[in-house]
Amino acid sequence: MKALSTVISIHSSDTAGVCSALYELGGMTVVHDASGCNSTYATHDEPRWYEGNGMVYISALTEAEAIMGDDDAFVTRVVRAAEDLGTCRFIAICGSPMPMMVGTDFDALAKIIAERTSLPVIPLHTNGMRSYLAGMAESFTALAERFCREDVQKCPGTVNVLGATPLDFSVNGQVESICSWLREEGFRVRSCWAMGSSLDELSLAAGAEVDLVISSGALALGAYFERRFGIPFVAGVPVGEKFAAFLAEALREAARSGRSSRPCLDCRRGDPAGPGVIGETVMSASIACALELERALPCRVLDPLEPEFGLRGPGDLSVPDEAAVASVFAGAPAVIGDPLYRPVVPAGTPFIALPHEAFSGRCFRKGMKNLIGRNFAKEFPSC
Amino acid sequence: MLKIAIYGKGGIGKSTVTSNLAAAFALRGLRVIQIGCDPKADSTVNLLHGEPLTPVMNFLETHDRDPESVDEIAKKGFGGVLCIETGGPTPGLGCAGRGIVTTFALLESLELFETFRPDVVLYDVLGDVVCGGFAAPIREGYASQVLIVTSGEKMALYAAGNIKRAVDNFADRGYARVRGVILNRRMVENEEEKVRAFAEANDLPVVADIPRSNDIIRFEDMGKTVVEGDPALPVSKAFLALADLLVREGLPEKSKE
Repeated sequence: MKALSTVISIHSSDTAGVCSALYELGGMTVVHDASGCNSTYATHDEPRWYEGNGMVYISALTEAEAIMGDDDAFVTRVVRAAEDLGTCRFIAICGSPMPMMVGTDFDALAKIIAERTSLPVIPLHTNGMRSYLAGMAESFTALAERFCREDVQKCPGTVNVLGATPLDFSVNGQVESICSWLREEGFRVRSCWAMGSSLDELSLAAGAEVDLVISSGALALGAYFERRFGIPFVAGVPVGEKFAAFLAEALREAARSGRSSRPCLDCRRGDPAGPGVIGETVMSASIACALELERALPCRVLDPLEPEFGLRGPGDLSVPDEAAVASVFAGAPAVIGDPLYRPVVPAGTPFIALPHEAFSGRCFRKGMKNLIGRNFAKEFPSC
Repeated sequence: MLKIAIYGKGGIGKSTVTSNLAAAFALRGLRVIQIGCDPKADSTVNLLHGEPLTPVMNFLETHDRDPESVDEIAKKGFGGVLCIETGGPTPGLGCAGRGIVTTFALLESLELFETFRPDVVLYDVLGDVVCGGFAAPIREGYASQVLIVTSGEKMALYAAGNIKRAVDNFADRGYARVRGVILNRRMVENEEEKVRAFAEANDLPVVADIPRSNDIIRFEDMGKTVVEGDPALPVSKAFLALADLLVREGLPEKSKE
């Protein structure tokens, strides 16, 4: 019964990470799952669903098809849907627990669908058992492998923003604020993975001088770009004026030296006895930096997601399940995190609610804060 | 790297053929991995001289965590052959096919091929291709060729035909192709004619003819393959000849060595 959650929520699944990462890019995303599950990936976890067209589909897998291994039914539906749409740039196919149990071979199915549709088909190996970070990481990297062009000239002063999805940043203007801040600092945004940029813009990412990684779900993409195109990455979200200034300087230094850095770890001393900031680590560590620099409040970052995706500074801690979360909260002087953590915060411990779409979905969407740059001073409550 | 999956009717001698072939490759100086894909987990027993080996699925069940290294789920047997068993559920329960898929994903994450750098990988697969999991060894990236073990018995040939059709059905997926038939003799009347007729009808070569031999049983009782026990016996020579053929075709540079 390890990793059991009895009171708190769980994070969005790898499948939701795939759907969110690919949502705006003109491709069709098909989740191989039972009919009716679409709303989980495409509405509860996807605020853009209400604003325009989306191309997230469910294969309507039946019990008989799963038992009989009827992959043809899946292939036929995907091919027909692609033909009906007529305009999709690519097809992404991914799994859920049922295909995992029957061992569906998505690599082979992608090959067959690609032959029948003449479209690029990306197989993604989700199973619904991991967090959205796994889905984001695999989708972004697969997309870059497939679509990023080599024949692109380097443009000085340009930045790719990596890791923008509503699961981490909602649709309350935070991503736009990050891009505006970059322009104020004298950079040009080459591409934003993957909100506000087209697939064609993403395909030119190799021309950027440096990458800004704003979610741990995109650290794998940052490392991939570094390996393939020699673009260094800098990890951090420009939360608060002082940390934003530090981050801007880190971007300039990375552009000069070609070396990657993690300012959201390097810019703070941290304090294992300080308030706990719980959540996705790049954002949480950036909030901790802002608190230390602007309010002289060193904190400890608590990572509730898979440790292999997160960043860990001195004193930071992995809290893989509810028992670990409750145990750490019991000794913390204050907690900063999603409102759905409140039930395990001891009575009397100060709690600052920062809703996180990947943890509480749309429940607290109206309360999502934009903490980018100088917004932090007025939006973040005093501890 | 030579990657071969051995299929055939239950009880036809797949594990005997696979472990003797592994021993033959090892005698030729090659680095070999044998992966038993059967819940009974007895594929590699005659390479290990009866030493127990924890199957991967049993390890996962007992420890409730992934192994940290290959050493926790593998053992070296005769000739340095690295032995691994997927294991699986108690008969009648769970999902044995899923066990194979899980094991393969785990071996990939442990970077088995990158670290051990085998010349030959042999997959010994349970009976027929009964579900997706049992086709996992022939997926892209795993075995690239299939050998079907059969005798002249009617049901063994029937199963061999089913396996050939199943593999052919996967042609558009980029899976392994059937390389040939191994005749494992059972003293059936006109056995060679029957198997050769089957092979011809399916456009396949008979790549080995393994004679019926009590020596196989004699050495298995001692926890050994016959190839290890006495490489000079005619039955051992049949396995060595098959290994040489496969190396000549698939690893020509090793063949020259």
